[in-house]
Amino acid sequence: MHVVIATDGSKQSLAAAKHLMSFADPDKIEAVSVVGVISPYASVAFADEISGGPRDRSFREAAEDAVRTVAEALDGWGPKVQRKLRSGSPANEIVKAAKAVSAGLVVVASGSRGLSDTVLLGSTAQRVQHSAPCPVLVVRPAPRKRATKK
Amino acid sequence: MSDTAATHVHPDDHEDGLKRSISGRLLFFYVLGDVLGSGIYVLIGLVAGAVGGAFFLAFAVGVTIATVTGMAYAELATKYPRAAGAALYIQKAFGNRTLTFLVTVLFLASSFAAAGSLASGFARYFGEVFSFPPAAVVAIVFVALLAVVNYIGITESVVANMVMTFVEVFGLLIVLLIGFLVIVQGDADFGVLTEFDTDSNPIFAIIAGVSLAFFAMTGFENAANVAEETIDPARNFPKALIGGMAAAGVFYVLVSISAALTLPIPELVDAEAPLLAVVESGVLPVPVGVLSIVFAFIAMTAITNTTLVAIVTQPRVLYGMAREDVVPAAFGKVHPTRRSPVLALIFSAAVVIALLAISNLLLSAGLDLDIVARLATVTVVLLLIIYSMVIVACLKLGSTDVNADHYRAPRPLLYLGLVGNVAVLYYTVYDDPTSVLWCLALVGVGVALFVVELIFGKRDRPAGTRRGEPIEGKEL
Repeated sequence: MHVVIATDGSKQSLAAAKHLMSFADPDKIEAVSVVGVISPYASVAFADEISGGPRDRSFREAAEDAVRTVAEALDGWGPKVQRKLRSGSPANEIVKAAKAVSAGLVVVASGSRGLSDTVLLGSTAQRVQHSAPCPVLVVRPAPRKRATKK
Repeated sequence: MSDTAATHVHPDDHEDGLKRSISGRLLFFYVLGDVLGSGIYVLIGLVAGAVGGAFFLAFAVGVTIATVTGMAYAELATKYPRAAGAALYIQKAFGNRTLTFLVTVLFLASSFAAAGSLASGFARYFGEVFSFPPAAVVAIVFVALLAVVNYIGITESVVANMVMTFVEVFGLLIVLLIGFLVIVQGDADFGVLTEFDTDSNPIFAIIAGVSLAFFAMTGFENAANVAEETIDPARNFPKALIGGMAAAGVFYVLVSISAALTLPIPELVDAEAPLLAVVESGVLPVPVGVLSIVFAFIAMTAITNTTLVAIVTQPRVLYGMAREDVVPAAFGKVHPTRRSPVLALIFSAAVVIALLAISNLLLSAGLDLDIVARLATVTVVLLLIIYSMVIVACLKLGSTDVNADHYRAPRPLLYLGLVGNVAVLYYTVYDDPTSVLWCLALVGVGVALFVVELIFGKRDRPAGTRRGEPIEGKEL
């Protein structure tokens, strides 16, 4: 199985990758693709909050750093790890990346259950669930702290 | 797509590993849409008033100056393909942080003024369809709605941008068709095209027109935002930017000629929504009522497209400044899921809304004020300063960071463009000195944020770290 892990540069997306490792059997996973999506027309095309890289990076460099950080977290787990950067609308591009590698699972993080996410068109995670070609694991910041455990 | 990639974490380990998304064609429509929306729907009457029947010349001269400026942007954007735009080029050329800060603040101010002018222009077309509510309310609600749209992230859609651009072009095609019919029916009086409505030298009339028309040429500088995501930027970026400007120029000239041939100049000058007046002239065999509603919606779409780019750009600039430590760090925080800089976004919208509210207060206090024109002029003054500096930066960096891949703008044209920018700037300020006060007030917003950061900013920096230094292990 090929697993796609999406990162938007948030801590939650790194937690999602770790959550996958906490229960999935690495022998059943051939490869993992870490996918970051840059949105060139958005105010902030990519915000990296996990790599601790320099502050004067371009958006693309920030995205590369975030994808590398998540990929490094998966290092040594077993499956081979690929890094992918795409640009466009995040949900669309994640789904396209999943189709391109015939993914068996897509892992996305979902930040909050706030009003804005339920009322305003849904978040990227919801949009991915709608159109992904495979099962989707949405890792929420659970109150039981399960997802953020290292 | 094949999937035979490497076994380990390694940069560039996959053939589609670093996919860029903005093709030359998408960028062309981005530039065209952004430029077309800003102004011709709103300003054509004012320009006609300043010049007379020959006002198409003002658009032609204006778009030429802007296109040459676009060439300087194209050279610098292909040399330094990052989203920072003018501020980055000035930093590269002069290496002076104060100057860079100033340019950033000028750019931010120009974007605030542009959004205000466009929102008021939107309200005028809105007022042609719905008599209620008052224009000031429409403009303010419009800005607030676009901020929400930006927060949700719909602006990410490149397709939506392209659809809006098609609608804009379609609107102008209607005007061209009307002009064509007038000519075919033999009603056209071509003499009007050489008339100058002035006692003085026609050259001054044209410069006055350019000064007003220049707002319609702005917007192309935002293309630098997406330079980093452009496929094969060395080839596509100059082509799309200059091609987009040239296409906009052709539209402007032809639309001006059509409008001048269709309506008597005084009627054009007095119209609240001038292009709508052209459409309502009854040349097309379609009921005027239907046509004017359709056209008003097209104009509103056009203005929305350009305003949206402004509303997206402002928080982006503030976000970049927060990361440079020149405004409070809170502007660099993004929403956990939406990934949009919430505070920067709310603040930007609040500034534009305050600008609209103050303008309307001044208006109701009896001041003779055309909000659309006033804010357009302020935008133009600020942008002309930036454009001139970008051309100087381009000339200064001529032999620096040269690589085989970047575009090189023709030098004589750059000098000509610099003279053009400075001449229009000089005339605009000379003709309308109060615009400088407005500029200073808007620039003051950025300076005030810097002062806040100076006073309170230390809290979010560890001891011993200086402003602008990267902070080890800390991400905003």
